[in-house]
Amino acid sequence: MIDRKLLSEIDWVLVGILLLNSALGCLLIYSASSQSPGNPYLRQAVFILISLVAMFLALSLDYKMLMAYSPYFYVLGLLALVGLMMWGRLISGTKSWFRLASLGLQPSELMKVFLILLLARLFAEFRRRFISAGMLLLSGGVVGLPLVLVILQPDLGTASCYLPLLFAVFVLAGMSRRQAVLLLILALISSLAIWSFVLTDYQKNRLVTLVTPGHDPQGTGYQIQQSKIAIGSGGLLGKGFKQGTQSQLNFLPARHTDFIFSVLGEEFGFIGILIAMSAYFLLLLRLFQTVALSRDRAGAYIVFQVAVLFSFQFLVNVLMVIGLLPVAGIPLPLLSYGGSSLLTSYLGIGLVLNVRMRRFVNV
Amino acid sequence: MESNRIYEDLSGVQKRAQRVRVGVEVLFLVLAFFYWKTQVLDHKKYWKLSEKNRIREMVIPAPRGLITDRQGIILVKNIGSFKTSLLRENTTNLERSYGVISRLLGLPLEELKKRVAKYSAMPPFKPLPLKENLSLEEVAQVDARRLEMPELLIETEPKRQYLFGSFAVHVLGYLQEISTEELRSRRYRDRRLGDLIGKMGLEAEYEPFLIGRNGRAVEVVDSLGRKQGELEKIEPQTSPSLQLNIDFDLQKKAESLLEGKEGAVVVLDPRTGDVLAMASYPTFEPNKFINRFTPEEWQAVVRDPGTPLENRVIRGLYSPGSIFKLTMSLAALNLDVITEQTRFYCGGEVTFYGEQFSCWAAGGHGSLDLTSAIRESCNIYFYNLGKRMRIEDIARHAQWYGFGHPTGIDLPGEKEGLVPSPEWKKTRRKAIWYPGETISVAIGQGPLLVTPLQVAAHTAFIANRGRKIVPHLLNSATPLRREFSSPEGTDFLLRTGLRRTAFDKVIKGMWESVNREGTSKAAVIEGFDVCGKTGSTQTISAETAERLARRKKEVKTHSWFTGFAPKDKPEVVVTVLVEYGGGGGATAAPLARQLFQLYREIFRAKQ
Repeated sequence: MIDRKLLSEIDWVLVGILLLNSALGCLLIYSASSQSPGNPYLRQAVFILISLVAMFLALSLDYKMLMAYSPYFYVLGLLALVGLMMWGRLISGTKSWFRLASLGLQPSELMKVFLILLLARLFAEFRRRFISAGMLLLSGGVVGLPLVLVILQPDLGTASCYLPLLFAVFVLAGMSRRQAVLLLILALISSLAIWSFVLTDYQKNRLVTLVTPGHDPQGTGYQIQQSKIAIGSGGLLGKGFKQGTQSQLNFLPARHTDFIFSVLGEEFGFIGILIAMSAYFLLLLRLFQTVALSRDRAGAYIVFQVAVLFSFQFLVNVLMVIGLLPVAGIPLPLLSYGGSSLLTSYLGIGLVLNVRMRRFVNV
Repeated sequence: MESNRIYEDLSGVQKRAQRVRVGVEVLFLVLAFFYWKTQVLDHKKYWKLSEKNRIREMVIPAPRGLITDRQGIILVKNIGSFKTSLLRENTTNLERSYGVISRLLGLPLEELKKRVAKYSAMPPFKPLPLKENLSLEEVAQVDARRLEMPELLIETEPKRQYLFGSFAVHVLGYLQEISTEELRSRRYRDRRLGDLIGKMGLEAEYEPFLIGRNGRAVEVVDSLGRKQGELEKIEPQTSPSLQLNIDFDLQKKAESLLEGKEGAVVVLDPRTGDVLAMASYPTFEPNKFINRFTPEEWQAVVRDPGTPLENRVIRGLYSPGSIFKLTMSLAALNLDVITEQTRFYCGGEVTFYGEQFSCWAAGGHGSLDLTSAIRESCNIYFYNLGKRMRIEDIARHAQWYGFGHPTGIDLPGEKEGLVPSPEWKKTRRKAIWYPGETISVAIGQGPLLVTPLQVAAHTAFIANRGRKIVPHLLNSATPLRREFSSPEGTDFLLRTGLRRTAFDKVIKGMWESVNREGTSKAAVIEGFDVCGKTGSTQTISAETAERLARRKKEVKTHSWFTGFAPKDKPEVVVTVLVEYGGGGGATAAPLARQLFQLYREIFRAKQ
């Protein structure tokens, strides 16, 4: 299916950066979870292998074809989310997972990839200077539907990750100043409407506790405070691998998932942070560069959405652990523990590789 | 650009994408700055916070020091005691645990649940005490199920044990849980809620010495406070034993003599002030304070009209009665009111200030000098002294000789007694002093109040011919510096102008009282030259006494004896008080005799 010419066009630099970041994540998970039951770092390694295989399998299909099927993926994803509402299991307060054997699958994560494809398809033939009202409403509706379903789980963190996709297509399609202002007003009104008409009191409560962890026995802001202590006490060089007192002695919450960056800051210090940020920066840079290499408009939309999604998740998470944003429950792609998140990240990168290797028309 | 023509022109799209890219790059720089600020600039602040997070200091209490008698016989020690606690984090099924524990320890299920509910706010890894003072049988039963019931712990803790029960209990004192008020005071600033502290006697007096030096452990803990490791440990240091001057055998004898009565006994060494025995009756069981009284038992102890908790030796206030005649004699001699040869005639009754005063001997004693007046304890003789002396002078001398202020013994709560003066009466009773009251004071009645220990110290003062001592329980063998010298110093006689010869004259009377058929003759011991004085204190007014006597009702007086031996080189002072014991010569003196006898057997045999 894939001829050798195509294979040689795979961006091996990007694959290298991808694996480098994944390995760093594994190392941090190993340190952060050395006292937890099971071996999360081993599971993470297995996830990486599975995701890698999935990524290369997806490469065999032209992204044009994937885009063509994207409405079916999208509907499938929506059905899964609705199914979760009815049959999903409550795990740490939200109904986000389907359980398959011992592996949990999180449809809301995979929905990100489906949305990227569907939005790219919608805008593939859009060539006007500014986005039209019709396209605005259509794309807003496409994203809004799964967004509301995920908010209802309630998983505000993952839901909020759909918004940068919308932002990305609006930016690429082009917006006048008036449109931007109108859009902001619309966003405010709709979120207010959802709050007052869609959500029940019980769900509101859970949302409030998610945003402000007041259910925490040691008071609001405890997690952020402990995370800041961990990062600050790391200093320039850090306390050393597996030597972090904050993380090893359980002071850090969710330390192998959402707060993995605090473990890095405590054990490897500012130097470690700089190295990790550089590795991530290389990844984002490579993604943004690939936007210019796309053969067509649809490809550019796909790559750009992936780049913006990665940037958003990274920035929000890293600002959160240092206390500049409220706790949002957004994992760090590639570094945090979690199979669905990892698979989504790999599939996203896979789409970028796909666009790049098929950048020449006559292949 | 030529080759690009077959592709769509995407330059507009690309330009927009690059703008976002620049935005992301700027955010990366801002991010790096914030991490640099937190990790490099504010590093010290966060480092300290993280250390405080993980390090916990713990006090390891030292076992309380032992208390021994002067020969080293252990009177108070610590024993291991077992208690069992519930560790909730070790059980998966709390309800099932309750059932098993209830059967195992014989605790009602309801009570068990109530107990655990009380501590429900504590973290699940903290053991909750379920039952204390387990019997060995219970320990074995719990221990045998160690593997199937990891939630049940057996812990040992040191517990105070008073080996001889109520032996010397008023001297030793007892322990009780620290109160919240005491916790706030400076003296107990290192103690914690639930600690036992000395509440009476030596346990309270020497609390800082007995607790030794607490150890310290610096531990690494996790966010739930679970111990993860140890950084530093200083072992606790137990204090050396507290050795007392109390002699086990003398103390035991003193207590057995008082059994069934209410009263007090002091035996001390006049040369040093060493207290050899100090007994107060009735007593109580100090171990009960450790093992907790039942509410009924506690009420019984507190409400007992015999006040078993009070140490009568230092807190019992009594009229000295005829004992005070010694004080009067010394004062009169030193004030030159009389000489040894001065004689007064006792006809059984005398009238002063229009009031009739009578002697205890109905027919009177005839003409008496000082020695025979002390020997016979003649009231009329001392009424005459009271007639010739001012109350101010009597009060001044009484205070010099040791009354009206604490002796300074190393026990908390000593009472100071009362030496009346016109000034005292004006301020406290809002009345003037009548000369007739001075006559009563002359034979130790009236408002005069003394403790048995003051009487003993006063007797030692006479025996020492004017040298004062401070009675004390702490033996010099204990490695604890504490001075017990009289605050008046060695030049006391010089400063006050008291004459040494006056003491010899009084002692002559005391010797005759015992050895020449005087009132104290029941205390005589062949070859030991006991000198003494009895007292029988009226506990009711003279009129009431007469009225009762006319109706053939028995009038019981408090019974005193105080004395020392031998006459020339005094070694031992014995003071006995028996409440409502009747005549001093009949009740107190024979008890004192047994103590002199035992002292002689023990201490003379050693020499």
